[in-house]
Amino acid sequence: MSGETILSADGVGKTFGAFRALRDVSVAFPRGRLTSIIGPNGAGKSTFFNVISGALLPSEGRVVFEGRDITGLSQHLLARLGIAKSYQITSLFPQLTALENVRIAAQALVSRFGMWRPRSALPGLVDEATALLDGVGLGRRLGVPAAGLAHGEQRALEIAVALASRPRLLLLDEPTAGMSPEETRSIMELIVRLATERTVVLVEHKMKLVMNISDRVVVLHHGEVLAEGTPDEIRANDEVKRVYLGQGRPAAAGLR
Amino acid sequence: MTGITLDLLLLQVFTGLALGTIFVLLAVGLSLIFGLLTVVNFAHGAFFMVGAYMGVYLLGVTGSFWFSLVGVPLVVGVLGLVVERALIRPLYGRGLDYPLLLTFGLGYVLVDLIRIGFGIEGRTFSTPAALQGSVDIGVGHFPLYRLFVMAVTALLLLALWWLIEGTRYGLIIRAGARDPDIVRVLGVDVSRVWLLVFALGTALAGLAGILAAPMRGVYPEMGIPVLIEAFVVTVVGGMGSLRGAVVAGLLIGMVVSLTSLVAPPMANISMFVVMALVLLLRPSGLFGRAGLMG
Amino acid sequence: MSALRTALGRVVALCGPHRVAVMIVFFVVFPWLMPYKALAINVLILGLFAVGFNIVFGYTGLLSFGHAAFFGLGAYGCGIAIARYGLPWPLALGAGVLLAGVGAVLIGGLSIRRRGIYFAMVTLALAQLVYYIFYQAEPITGGENGLRGVDVRTIALGPVALDFLAPTVKYYFVLVFVSLALWCLSRVLESPFGAVLEAIRENETRARACGFDVDGTKLAAFVLSGLFCGLAGGLKAMHLSIVPTEVLHYQTSGLVVIMALLGGMGTFFGPFVGAAVFLLIEDQVSLVTAQWQLVAGSLFMVFVLFFPNGIWGSLLQWVGRAP
Repeated sequence: MSGETILSADGVGKTFGAFRALRDVSVAFPRGRLTSIIGPNGAGKSTFFNVISGALLPSEGRVVFEGRDITGLSQHLLARLGIAKSYQITSLFPQLTALENVRIAAQALVSRFGMWRPRSALPGLVDEATALLDGVGLGRRLGVPAAGLAHGEQRALEIAVALASRPRLLLLDEPTAGMSPEETRSIMELIVRLATERTVVLVEHKMKLVMNISDRVVVLHHGEVLAEGTPDEIRANDEVKRVYLGQGRPAAAGLR
Repeated sequence: MTGITLDLLLLQVFTGLALGTIFVLLAVGLSLIFGLLTVVNFAHGAFFMVGAYMGVYLLGVTGSFWFSLVGVPLVVGVLGLVVERALIRPLYGRGLDYPLLLTFGLGYVLVDLIRIGFGIEGRTFSTPAALQGSVDIGVGHFPLYRLFVMAVTALLLLALWWLIEGTRYGLIIRAGARDPDIVRVLGVDVSRVWLLVFALGTALAGLAGILAAPMRGVYPEMGIPVLIEAFVVTVVGGMGSLRGAVVAGLLIGMVVSLTSLVAPPMANISMFVVMALVLLLRPSGLFGRAGLMG
Repeated sequence: MSALRTALGRVVALCGPHRVAVMIVFFVVFPWLMPYKALAINVLILGLFAVGFNIVFGYTGLLSFGHAAFFGLGAYGCGIAIARYGLPWPLALGAGVLLAGVGAVLIGGLSIRRRGIYFAMVTLALAQLVYYIFYQAEPITGGENGLRGVDVRTIALGPVALDFLAPTVKYYFVLVFVSLALWCLSRVLESPFGAVLEAIRENETRARACGFDVDGTKLAAFVLSGLFCGLAGGLKAMHLSIVPTEVLHYQTSGLVVIMALLGGMGTFFGPFVGAAVFLLIEDQVSLVTAQWQLVAGSLFMVFVLFFPNGIWGSLLQWVGRAP
């Protein structure tokens, strides 16, 4: 299975007015692997994430999921195909409890327009949601409204919400943004665990975080693919070094 | 279709343009306010009505139509200043629905205040002596007053265009419509721009009120159909687009006028048909999403 | 004060799971709390109208300014069926509800994709279109003079014929339908679909990402809301025995917005509180001055500015049970 491509971007470009955010980006994501997309600020990482997750329509090129062109498909259909995502800015149902957040997400697989029987009669959803929340370390916080959780907990909840739709592909946009070092560590451990069972695409600004856990790394720079390969290949790549070192920032420390 | 000559048709087109200019004035004010403040002003029709009544009042006091024509936009503009500062400002940041709901309630209140001040009966507003009669425009006789309304609107639009494209204020207005934060960073007091734009929009509504008074009559509920017409024009033109407001206003005016020539019972309905078509074929309006001057 | 607060909180908590039953019990005694029966009937009918409106405004977060269309279509549908075709009232009431539902599919289909602010304007304009159509179609609708002859004199209940002209009979007749509607609504809100509505109101983007068809769900809610409002309209036609053109007017759309906000949007009982308060203001203030709209409009602005949760919503918040 390892050679198979689950998702690919073919010649994707995106312009905002006169600004070219992405230029002819072609990337194939292998099934069952953890692929990280890295790059310095303004490299086009978030734009690329939004294009492959269907939030932005590319100006050119197409996105293919499991052999099917999904460019321009609406968000809810992408979700039903098996693509789930966690946004850079936390996006939850703030007034609902952690449990209800995940339960509703799981409900999308079984009932979307059922108006007569009570929602509590749908079998298994609460158990499933509870198990998922246990898995992300929120087992003791089931009854807390999402808005009342700490930032790190909210990110974990968002991952549980994403998992509830049983995705084959999980897209994560800077899941550790704004987290404390401890929170970051536990989220990264969680991601590694998740990646053993499904395909994960991780967009991350902090190179250091992803080098040791990724199967593959894609480096974006000025809206183009600068390099692509295993973490070792990326470490050895002179152009990548130049781009990161050229910025004169300690992020380059990750290259050692 | 017997009896409808080309001349009659052209004359009706002119009537439509005259009707359309009132739509334009209203929709431009509505779009200006929405473009900058993202407030849908449900009291816009009420400001229009207040404009007409202020016209009645000022004309009664001064006896001069010309003085009233200048005075009405000022009075209604000042009312707009007070409303923005006292009632709408507290609601910024609480979602788009609340300013809308507030102006809706304000519409009720203004209508009843006018009823208290001027009675529930309608008033007539006679065309000023200098503008009575009609002129031959080649295809037939056309009321002079309507030509006057068209000319005033055209002049106003030119002035507005100059204000927005040619002055420092316009620069701020254009930038503010795109991104209030940028203007804030530039050190401009955004809330003041909003205040003035709201007043400008309401002043235009008031002016439309006095201009329309000799044509449509003056009564407390006169703002309600006008509000709906202005909404239709704004939806057709594209929300927040001034060019869209002008084009759609004139277009709708002509559609209504021509329908009333060929199928009078359909005249009221025709503008909604246009709106439904636009919604189906070009959901963001003829000039939607193109920025304030788009 | 705090003891009262705790006690009230406990009462509300106890009532919560049985809210429909509690409301029905309340409405059984309600006519004796009002100055006269006709007012109580109006509270029920307009309250039901506001309940229907609340499905989109309160539970889905869509501000429609065109709900007069569904109230009016319900009233005209029921009225025309009785006055022009002589149908028995149960069929006529069904026809009204159906007509309102069809109207909701058409208006919703055109407007639902228009986000936020457009939505209010487009629904308002389309409702005005419906108004003009019914105003113009005089041979069927009676035009400006309204539709006359919606006469229902007796309600046959097996061998017993109830006198529909007696206010008490009329009130309890309406109450039966209001109770059924509330029971249905309660089920819908508890259903998986109700959960999707909550999700959309909370965060549309996330609801989409979860795999919910947000536009489709909104349209379904809009049509459901139209059906409820149509039922209210049909009952109104039977109650008045005429259908005035005002049922389709802009003011009627505005009226339901005012009632829902005054009462408390997104609360189960709020719409009735709003209807009762509004009608009492109209009734009592108009005894003193013709300008009751000034009072109602000012009160509405005060609520928008300071009590956006409405009377019932603020009360629930005060006793610690968020609406």
